[in-house]
Amino acid sequence: MSKGILVDIPKCIGCESCSVACKLWNELGWDPQEKNKTAEDRAKEPNKGLWPDEWTSINRYDVKKNGSPVGRYVKTQCLHCVDPACASACFSKALKKLPEGPVVYDQKLCVGCRYCMMACPFDILRYEWKKAIPGVSKCQMCPSRVTNNQETACTSVCPTGAITFGDRDQLLAEAKKRIKDNGYVDRVFGEKEAGGTSWLYISDVPFEQLRFRTDVTTKSLPSYTEGYMKLTPFVGGTWAAVLAGLYIYNNKNKEPLE
Amino acid sequence: MASKAGQVKKLSRRSFLKFVGGASLTGVTLSLAGCGEVATADSAAGGKGWMPAQYNAPGSWPTDVRGRVPIDPLNPSIVRDDQKCILCGQCLEVCEKVQSVFGNYELPIKNEFVCVNCGQCTQWCPSGAITERDETDKVFKALADPKVTVVVQTAPATRIGLGEEFGMPVGTNVQGKQVAALRKLGFDVIFDTNFTADLTIMEEGTELVKRVQGELKKPLPQLTSCCPGWVKFVEYFYPELIPNLSSAKSPMQMEGTLMKTYYAEMKKVDPQKIFSVAIMPCTAKKFECQRPEMVSAQKELKDKNVTPDVDVVLTTRELARMIKRAGIDFANLPDGQYDQLMGTGTGAGAIFGTTGGVMEAAARSAYYLVTGQQPPSALWDLTPVRGMQGVKDATINIPGIGNMKVAVISGLANARTVMDQIKAGNAPWDFIEVMACPGGCEYGGGQPRASAPPSDDVRNRRAASLYQIDANAKLRNSYDNPQIKEVYADFLTAPMSEKAEELLHTTYISRASEFTAKKSENM
Ligand code: SF4
Ligand code: SF4
Ligand code: SF4
Ligand code: SF4
Repeated sequence: MSKGILVDIPKCIGCESCSVACKLWNELGWDPQEKNKTAEDRAKEPNKGLWPDEWTSINRYDVKKNGSPVGRYVKTQCLHCVDPACASACFSKALKKLPEGPVVYDQKLCVGCRYCMMACPFDILRYEWKKAIPGVSKCQMCPSRVTNNQETACTSVCPTGAITFGDRDQLLAEAKKRIKDNGYVDRVFGEKEAGGTSWLYISDVPFEQLRFRTDVTTKSLPSYTEGYMKLTPFVGGTWAAVLAGLYIYNNKNKEPLE
Repeated sequence: MASKAGQVKKLSRRSFLKFVGGASLTGVTLSLAGCGEVATADSAAGGKGWMPAQYNAPGSWPTDVRGRVPIDPLNPSIVRDDQKCILCGQCLEVCEKVQSVFGNYELPIKNEFVCVNCGQCTQWCPSGAITERDETDKVFKALADPKVTVVVQTAPATRIGLGEEFGMPVGTNVQGKQVAALRKLGFDVIFDTNFTADLTIMEEGTELVKRVQGELKKPLPQLTSCCPGWVKFVEYFYPELIPNLSSAKSPMQMEGTLMKTYYAEMKKVDPQKIFSVAIMPCTAKKFECQRPEMVSAQKELKDKNVTPDVDVVLTTRELARMIKRAGIDFANLPDGQYDQLMGTGTGAGAIFGTTGGVMEAAARSAYYLVTGQQPPSALWDLTPVRGMQGVKDATINIPGIGNMKVAVISGLANARTVMDQIKAGNAPWDFIEVMACPGGCEYGGGQPRASAPPSDDVRNRRAASLYQIDANAKLRNSYDNPQIKEVYADFLTAPMSEKAEELLHTTYISRASEFTAKKSENM
């Protein structure tokens, strides 16, 4: 059964237990510069506070709801696409979608081409510039836990139930129920985006105001490239061109990064 | 593309083509070489770390304790170092179960992190991840400025805590050494908050008598107002009980106001040049001194250049840090003496530092204020309100008023139960003392961490030390304090006079609109 995580944005209080859990479980380092950033700072960063040692980050957006100012926290990390563009862009199969849901990465297989970074429609992957043998980094969705009947580290610590681990199908149904019951925005982000993702988001304020990529295609991205995949040995050069096209496509509506 | 320097560059078409040109060949070669391996759950990055046992249960098992309290990065009282947090959940436990703050609001949140700044989480956090917001640098800076007169006050409870930071037994009274250390650090004038604790009793006691006798049209029970964590709790969760709060400021705020008015006038010091520091057992005091109401000196003197009544609050732990940083041999300091004018307190002022102390002090004075006579012996040792129970009550007989029913509460979850009773109209009390921290200020959020989480054993020993100060004091009744008589004669005229109202009393605001309160289960 494919697992997923439901993020109920209005329930998040910004305690950042989840991001600390992620650091503990994955032994991620503490960069003094990142440590001192607030959820508000991170929301303003082009990459929303995701860095090689920050696989997940909490972003705070100050928005208006029914005319009064409210703060909303959004947990950000790899969305674990059902049909991930990063994995299909990877020649050396360093990235792989597991049947249980996680899109995992094995640094030993990685050649450092960074095609995956270009392919990702959500701009999640980070290149480890500081390391002697750099790889890419992103949330792994705790595969050793998930494949052993444990929930992800982050969901296990959330005090409010803002993030819930479960079967993706059931969570999707739960998401729709909560949308109805709580009068949320009528959209489950991740149901169809990029062909569907394992992480699902629901919100009481428009996703656009929370810097979600709401313009992303609902078609799975690898479907744009699969015709060429078969021809890989012969079209190495063309492949690069296709990815270049995909990169430009993915980034055309992004905010300028400067 | 992102580079770690915090600078993010947009990939130019040229560098992009350059890098795909180079890398694609490597990729193609490798995949041609036919490395058949793929990433698996076990070979995936990460996942080799550690999590507390409660999070490693199979399935989505509901664990009892999950996560930690949210802390606003702008919280004036507490900060957290995420790197030290082990997600044990102790902060959440104390905030929710002992203080009934966390979890007592509906989600979604509006704008604010609901927190009463009590700092009990700093006491419960086993790894020291949550601490007070350190403001020692501000004080060091003021001390180094020759143009500034740095005036400091010390709360009743810091003197029985500070010694622990220097290896002395729990509850050791280091009043004299504390004064001597402050002098060595370069503080110009050293006052005692016990003085304004006495003054608070005069104001609050007078207010109580007026309420009871119907002269003041304000509801009973009167609720004490010297604990800023408790006051904020009322403002959040029980705004309808704001009229019950005594309008008297806390002793710290009274002292701060008088530093910049009374002291400045008497000693001819320019109030603009006074930097007022308070050494407190409390993190909520850091919040209190920043409240917009707390600028009475500025208002009274009509001078925008006079800073807030209390400029900086340091916790007992921060003072210990300053003493250590300055390399002072604390244990061997000869006792110092407080400066006069506002440096004398009675035994009644001293016991403000423990749960029940304000009540006992108020009872002695109320008796005197109504009868004009010294209270009977029972009021010198009001045992029913002593001790560490969360809710205590007693009946005090005052001729002319009759039986006055009083209650003493510490810990906000206990207060919540009693406040619900008041709201439901079945509370028999006339006067209720509340301190946010269990046991009172002696184990406030800013006191040394003698045990984590705090234990009643430590609380009892610290409280015993305060009662000892009271028992040994020559003067044990606030109205007998000669400096109290002086300040009324020379400056304030009388308790609750127009001037006293202006300088020593305050107002409160409802914070109910900042969040959505959960319906109380006790109702
Ligand atoms: S699923 Fe695991 S890796 Fe991903 S954000 Fe949560 S804790 Fe981190
Ligand atoms: S642990 Fe839960 S409530 Fe806390 S920041 Fe993460 S998602 Fe939000
Ligand atoms: S200071 Fe008090 S109210 Fe605030 S988070 Fe800590 S325990 Fe809770
Ligand atoms: S008590 Fe301290 S270590 Fe434990 S969860 Fe809270 S902040 Fe983290």
